[in-house]
Amino acid sequence: MLAGAAAKTRVMNRYALAALRCACLLLVTAAGVTYALLMLISLTLVVPFPAAVAGQQRLVAFGRRLARRWAGATVPDVPPTPLPVPRPRADGWYRHGVTLYRSPRTARWMSTFDHYGNDPGVARDLRWLLLAPVTAAIPLLLPPALIAAGLLALRAGPWGWLAAGVAVTAAFLVAPTSLRWYGRSADVLLRTPAGPARTGRTSRARTACWRLGGLAGLHLAALGGAVLTLAATILSWGGLLLWATTLTRPMTEIYRRQAHRWTGVDLPSPYRPLPPPPAPDEDGNYRHGRTLYVEPDFAISLQRHRWVSHDPATWRDQLWAWSALLGAPLSLLPAVLIGAGFFGLVWQPLSWAPWAVPIGLATGYWITPFYLWHALQLGGVVPSAVPGWASIPAGLALTLLGLALAAPLTRARTWWDTLLLRPTVGTVLAGRVTELNSSRAVTADAAAAELRRIERDLHDGAQARLVAVGLGLGAVARLMETDPARARRLLAQAQETSAAALAELRDLVRGIHPPVLAERGLTDAVRAIALDTPLPVTVDTDLPGRLEPAVESAVYFSVCETLANAARVASTVTLTLRHQDGLLRMVVTDDGPGGADPSTGTGLRGIMRRLGAFDGTVTLHSPPGGPTVVIMEVPCALSSPKTSTS
Amino acid sequence: MRVVLAEDLHLLRDGLALLLETHGFTIAAAVADGPSLRDALTRHRPDVAVVDVRLPPTFTDEGLQIALEARRATPGLPILVLSAHVEQLYARELLADGAGAVGYLLKDRVLNGDQFTDAVRRVAAGGTAMDPQVIAKLLAAGGPATPLSRLTAREREVLELMAQGRSNTAIAQRLFLSDSAVSKHIAAIFTKLGLPPSDDDNRRVMAVLTYLNAG
Repeated sequence: MLAGAAAKTRVMNRYALAALRCACLLLVTAAGVTYALLMLISLTLVVPFPAAVAGQQRLVAFGRRLARRWAGATVPDVPPTPLPVPRPRADGWYRHGVTLYRSPRTARWMSTFDHYGNDPGVARDLRWLLLAPVTAAIPLLLPPALIAAGLLALRAGPWGWLAAGVAVTAAFLVAPTSLRWYGRSADVLLRTPAGPARTGRTSRARTACWRLGGLAGLHLAALGGAVLTLAATILSWGGLLLWATTLTRPMTEIYRRQAHRWTGVDLPSPYRPLPPPPAPDEDGNYRHGRTLYVEPDFAISLQRHRWVSHDPATWRDQLWAWSALLGAPLSLLPAVLIGAGFFGLVWQPLSWAPWAVPIGLATGYWITPFYLWHALQLGGVVPSAVPGWASIPAGLALTLLGLALAAPLTRARTWWDTLLLRPTVGTVLAGRVTELNSSRAVTADAAAAELRRIERDLHDGAQARLVAVGLGLGAVARLMETDPARARRLLAQAQETSAAALAELRDLVRGIHPPVLAERGLTDAVRAIALDTPLPVTVDTDLPGRLEPAVESAVYFSVCETLANAARVASTVTLTLRHQDGLLRMVVTDDGPGGADPSTGTGLRGIMRRLGAFDGTVTLHSPPGGPTVVIMEVPCALSSPKTSTS
Repeated sequence: MRVVLAEDLHLLRDGLALLLETHGFTIAAAVADGPSLRDALTRHRPDVAVVDVRLPPTFTDEGLQIALEARRATPGLPILVLSAHVEQLYARELLADGAGAVGYLLKDRVLNGDQFTDAVRRVAAGGTAMDPQVIAKLLAAGGPATPLSRLTAREREVLELMAQGRSNTAIAQRLFLSDSAVSKHIAAIFTKLGLPPSDDDNRRVMAVLTYLNAG
């Protein structure tokens, strides 16, 4: 009895409830596509986007549960990836990117926005919301539509009763299949992981389209800044140029960073560094040009004004911003073609069913799927003789055109940006001079300090001991006849002192220029340090020649410092040393706990100073949990291959 | 006992020659640069050569290279290398052929004439003479996972002296132990390092050092 009841319930669930569930899922799908459209709007409005994503996650989780419970889907719940929590720095500010924020809320909002923007799960959910109407609307619509039609047919007399019976039965029979179809499509569209970033040609072109559009937007923003600059400058006879420029430069800098991130074009900041404030003359006045000022304020603003107006980058920025009048529409073209072609002419007819069929059933007024195409025909863009279905091939053609245009237009934009947004040769050289001046000063200071240290060590150490030896030997000469026993004691003492002097000299020499480096070159010197380091160090070197002695020495001491740091925390270290294309690269990897902070230790700064004198760089990657990787790079040439003495 | 001496500093060369002669050695040749060292080694076939690492004309590791070359040509040719600094790297290269009869000492050790000439004799007899600093570095460089960490402090001391090439009696005197206690420590060291026991001085030093080199 009980088994029979259970079986009856199953049949009820399978057939009777299925049609109802189809109707519910249809409503969910409609809600989903509406929400997806809101998502797209929120994305363009930027501010509500994070909130909209949170809502989308809840909606999709609900849809997923329903698909599993009712439609046999197997796709599991995916917990949303945890949001980054901004932590205050030591000074109490919150950091996001290269900007500091006073309030944690702004920083949290910025990082949340970035997080959702890069989260493949968000894109996957949105894709499902947008595609579900196309894949599942007609099957889901079929059972409720058949029942509705059956109920309408009841009015048409006895034959109507028969037709209604057939329609309702068909509805109940078809409903489970519809549900299965819905479940399958949810499995395919919502499967996790979202997969690695696609790199096919089409998806590259599509990405390029949207990025081009984004850059056009930033370019237009810069145009707004340029209009402001022009108006302010004309109205104030040039007086407000400084004010306007300091406002617009950050905008252009944002463009530079974004263009670098999206198209890979290298656009370093071209602006001249802010000059130091004017110092007062011997009579206490501040000079600007041929005029003397008693108060510094005015001289400072004049100097700043001159700093901006004499910087070629200011005027090149302006010229570039005005070029948005032509450049921005061109860059928007692929996105517009795809938007109108694919989403307008192809997508609209395909997603017509879920909203047009209910309207048609309820009002009897059937809207054509190709209504946008007809709108174009009414506008006279397309001859009215062309049939409606031509909208789909025409839309696909426009889409392909948009995709094809993306790459050449990106190249054109990159070329134009490179022409105007990069620093001029003069600015690059000026920057280089400043950099070399400071690194030369640092190197000279370091060399002087080093010499002072050596002098002090010799003076207080070996030199003093040799004096003691000399004194001792003098005493021995006097005592040899009278007190041989004491003379012998003094001799032994003199020997000990000279041994100590030797040991001190050896240590000193090691610190100046390690003997093994002079004798064997960098490769063996590094092996020698590895042997002396109290933990296993794997050394992998490939240097087919010798380096400049000065570079060799700087690199040697940098490796020493790095290994000494690693030895404090790690249990094994790997060190590779390679020379390729005029660049010496050392990579030191240790298995320590990571989390090393370059700003706290003096070791890394010392290495930077040593290598900086040769234009070398140091980078430290030390995520919490390790491994810590220190990469040191020095541009240098290799001399002729090592000639063996044997 | 005939010695070939190679040292570029005039004062030190004469001092060493004097020291060796007063201790009963015969100086077959005292040379000041690499090429003449090579000539002297082939011409005089000395019982032992005392060689400075850094020699003209290159002032790099010329002396060491010639010593290694000569030992490749004549395996077991006794050579004592002197240097102003000691490197494990060089010690390993000298010991690599496993033929014994090598020494590697800091120049400072000539200050103690008796110990130095002892070392020269040991090398000439086919033993080894490693500078205590090299041994200390070898022992220090072993990570926490090496079998060396299983040795007791006293066993380490014994191993250090043993690796310098000292006899059981010398070790016993140095550490104020009885000969039998030293033998027991040595047996324990061999067991802990997994080496077959042996009475032969040279072989046991080689075994220890080869073992350390492999680590």
